[in-house]
Amino acid sequence: MHAGAWVAWVLMVMTIALVTTNPLYLCLLLLSILVVAAFAPRSATGALGFRVLFIGGFLLLGFSALIATINGGAGDRVLFTMPGPGLPSWLGGLSLGGPVTAENMTAALTRGLAILCVFLGFAIFNGAVSPHRVLRLGPAALFHAGLVLTVGLTLLPSTIADFRRLREMRQLRGGGAGIRHIPSLLAPAVIGGLERAFRLAEAIEARGYAAPPPMPLRARLAGFAAAPLALVAGWVWLYADALTALAAALAAAAMGTLVYWGVATSRARHTTKMRAESLAPLDIAGIAAALTVIGAALSARATGWTDLTYNPFAGLPSPSLEVAGMALMLLVLWPLPSLLRQPPAEDRSAIPIRTTGEATHR
Amino acid sequence: MTATISALTYRYPSSTAPALDDINLSFEPGRLTLVCGPSAGGKSTLLRSLNGLVPQFYGGVYSGTVTVAGFDAAVTTARRMATVTGMVFQDPEAQAIAASVEEEIAFGMEQQGVPRDEMLRRCDYLLDLMGIQHLRNRSLSSLSGGERQRVAIASVLALEPALLVLDEPTSQLDPAGAESVLVALEALARTGMTIAVAEHRLDRLLPHADDIVAIADGRVAATGDWALDTVPGLAPPFALLAKQLGLGTVPRTVDDARRALSGIPVRVEPCPGPPSPGDPLLHVRDLTVSYGDVTALDGVSLSLRQGEIVALVGPNGSGKSSLLRAVAGVVSPAAGEVESPGVESGAGVAARTAHAALVPQDPSFALYRDTVLDEVRESLHLRGVPVSRAGDVLERWGISGLARRDPRDLSVGQQQRAAIATMLAHAPPVWMLDEPTRGADAPAKAWLSRALRDHAASGGAAIVSTHDIESAAAFATRVVGLRDGAIEFDLPVREALGHGGPMPTRTAHVVPGAILPGEVHR
Repeated sequence: MHAGAWVAWVLMVMTIALVTTNPLYLCLLLLSILVVAAFAPRSATGALGFRVLFIGGFLLLGFSALIATINGGAGDRVLFTMPGPGLPSWLGGLSLGGPVTAENMTAALTRGLAILCVFLGFAIFNGAVSPHRVLRLGPAALFHAGLVLTVGLTLLPSTIADFRRLREMRQLRGGGAGIRHIPSLLAPAVIGGLERAFRLAEAIEARGYAAPPPMPLRARLAGFAAAPLALVAGWVWLYADALTALAAALAAAAMGTLVYWGVATSRARHTTKMRAESLAPLDIAGIAAALTVIGAALSARATGWTDLTYNPFAGLPSPSLEVAGMALMLLVLWPLPSLLRQPPAEDRSAIPIRTTGEATHR
Repeated sequence: MTATISALTYRYPSSTAPALDDINLSFEPGRLTLVCGPSAGGKSTLLRSLNGLVPQFYGGVYSGTVTVAGFDAAVTTARRMATVTGMVFQDPEAQAIAASVEEEIAFGMEQQGVPRDEMLRRCDYLLDLMGIQHLRNRSLSSLSGGERQRVAIASVLALEPALLVLDEPTSQLDPAGAESVLVALEALARTGMTIAVAEHRLDRLLPHADDIVAIADGRVAATGDWALDTVPGLAPPFALLAKQLGLGTVPRTVDDARRALSGIPVRVEPCPGPPSPGDPLLHVRDLTVSYGDVTALDGVSLSLRQGEIVALVGPNGSGKSSLLRAVAGVVSPAAGEVESPGVESGAGVAARTAHAALVPQDPSFALYRDTVLDEVRESLHLRGVPVSRAGDVLERWGISGLARRDPRDLSVGQQQRAAIATMLAHAPPVWMLDEPTRGADAPAKAWLSRALRDHAASGGAAIVSTHDIESAAAFATRVVGLRDGAIEFDLPVREALGHGGPMPTRTAHVVPGAILPGEVHR
C-alpha cells in the first residue's frame, strides 16, 4: 500500500476516535482496527512497538477507570462508595472518594477506548511505513517538519529496542528482570532511543536532505500572510454571523497563499524520484474514502446528521446504533483489499528478533 | 590535487589542547591514502575537517584552510559539501535511511534533483563497482555487515564526490566482509577516485594503500612506510618483524615478506607454552540454539579448565555470540547443557554470570549509567558485594581517572575498559569477552592480552571471541573454530595459528614455527 494511503488511513482512524463518544461505535472501530492490524505489514521493530502500544493503550484504559474511581463524580446510579475526605469547595469541585456511579465509569471507559483506538492506529502506521517513505511524501517546504516526524517515528521503536537491550545488560550484571526494575532503566532507554533517532536525522541531513535556499520575496510574503488570514477568517466566522461568506472567502485566501508558498518552496528546491511509489487504483479509492469519512465524521459532530456522541449522564440510556454510524466505523477496513492482494512478506523481511546489535550478523 | 589541508590547527570547544596541530597534507586523484595512528590521536578529527563537520558542526577554534575540489570546507554549506566530500562512518547501521538497497543509494540523488535516467545509470554503475548488483532489491536489514558497508559507500558515491573519506569502515566487519570492502575500494581508486581511509587494522589495509600518513597527538607524525614502526600504537606484524630482523623496508603483503626474508637466516624462539591446565571450570555439552527456524548453534561441546584462554574464531553468523550468550543464560538453548562447578543446572542469568560473566560485543551498549563509578557500583550492588569496593575495582583495571566521566563521552578503547571493569567487577573465575579487540588500537590490545594472561595465571579461565587472530596469538592457549554453528577445530594455539594450521598468522605464513613477530630472531 502507498505510504500516502497509510497517512490517510491513520488520520481517518484518529479523527473518528476523537469525535466519537458512543461506546458501541468505538467497540466497532476497535474491532475494525484489529482486523487491519492482523493483515498489515510489520517490520520487526514495528511488531515490538505494536505490542508496547497495545499494552500501553489497555493500561491507560485501566488508568482512566481508576481515576474515575478515585475521583468519584456525578450520576445517580451508584455502584459503590469509595471512602475519602470531603475536600473544601474552594478546590473547584475536586473530590477524592465518594460515590462511584455507573454513568461516570461509562464515560471514563469510553474515553479510554478512544485512546486505545488512537494508540493502535498509530502503532499499525508506525509498523507498516518506514520514516523514509513518509519523508519522501512531504514537499520540500516541509523540510523541518519532515525531520521532526522522522525523529518522532523512530523514537518509539528505538527506545523499545534500547530498553530490551538494557534489561539484558542488567541481567548480565546479576540483576533481576522483573517489572519492578523497569523504572530504573526507563530514563537510559529513552536517552538511547533519542540518540539513535537524532543520529538518523543527522545522517539524513548529511546526505543532502536540507532546507530550501532563500525564496523570492513574494513567496515569503505569502507564507507570512497565511496565518493572520486564517485567524481573521476564524474570528469573523465565530463573531459575525452575517458575514459567513466573507469568512469563507478569507479562509480560501489563507489556503491559497499557503499553497502558493508550498509550491514556490518545492520549486526552489528541486527533488526527483528514482522510483515513485505506485499509487494503485485501490490506494486512490482508499484515500478518497478516508477523506470522505473524515469529512463525514467532522460534519456529523458539527451538524448532527448522524449522532456519534453518547452522554451517559442523561440517565444512562442505551447507546444508539445507526446504519450510517456503523458504516463509518466499518469503512476503517478499506485497506483490506490491497493488504490481502499483496502478501505482506515484502516488509516482514527476514529480521530475526535479537538484541545486542546482532542485526549485522546475518 | 583533489584536496589540500594547509596549516590546519583546530581545538574542540570543550577542550584546552588542540586536536589538530599545524597539519599540512594533500590528497591526489586515483590514490588511496591510509590515515593511521593511535586512538584519540586526531585521525577522526582530521577526516571530519575534510567535509566541514569540523568546524561547522562541532564549533571550536579553527585556523588554516581545507580545500576540496575548490570548495573551502570551513564555510561551504553541508548540502553542497555532501556533493564534494563523501563520508562513510564505522557503523553502517547508523547511516541507513531507507529500507531497501536501491532506495538507499537513490536517496541522496533524489535530494539533489538528479534526473531519473541519470539516477538509474549511476545506480547500475555503482552496484557493479561495489560488486553488489545481486543485492539491488534486497532489504537493508537482511544484509551482512560487509554488504551494508558497501551499500553505504555506493550511496555516498552516488553524489559523485571528488573525495571519498572513510572512518574505520571495516572495524565492525569480519575478515571476509572487510576484504570485500577493501577490494571494492581499490577498484574505486583505479577509476581515479581520491580516497582517504582511517584504520586500526593496518595489516588488512596495507596491501591496498598507495600512501600512508600517521597522525599522533594531532600532528603528522610520519608519512610513508617507515611511519609504521616509529609511531607508538602502530604495530602491524610485518612492521614488527622488519624491526626485529633489521629489514630496510616494511613488507606489505605475505609475498613481499617472503621475498624480503629469502636468504636471511632466522632463528625461532617460541614463547614458553602455558602451564598444563588445572581443574575444570565449565563444561558445555551438545548445545543447540535456534532463533525461530534459524539454527545458530548446532550441538556444540566444549570444556574449559583453569589457566586456559580459548580464542573463539569464525566468520560472522558462525555462532560465536550465541555460544557465549547461551553459556551466560541470556538465550535458552533448544537442547544441551552448560555445567559449571557450584552452579545448579536450572540457574538463572544472575547465578550463571556470577561464575562465568559475559562482556558483550559493543561496549557502548553495556554502559548506561551517568558515570563510570556508578556503573561499577550498580554491578557490585547487584552481585551483593559492598559498593565501597568500587574504587578498588576501578584501580585494578587502571581506570580510576575515568571514575567521574560519562561513559558516553569516552573513546572506544576507554569504553571497552569501563565495560570490562563493570561486567567483571565481582571477579568471576570465567571471563567471556565478545569481540573485545574490535576497533582497539595496539596499546589497548596489549593491555587486554596482559589482563587475560594475569587472570589465567591466577587460576581463572576465559573464552574470547575475536576476528583478530594476530591478537589471539598473543593471549590464547587454545583456539576453537566455529563454522555454521558447529565446531570446525579445537587445537592448541601453536597448532591452530601456526604454519600449516587452519588459521596461520601473518608471521606463521612466512616463518614456519613462529606465530608472533617477537619469536623471530636473526
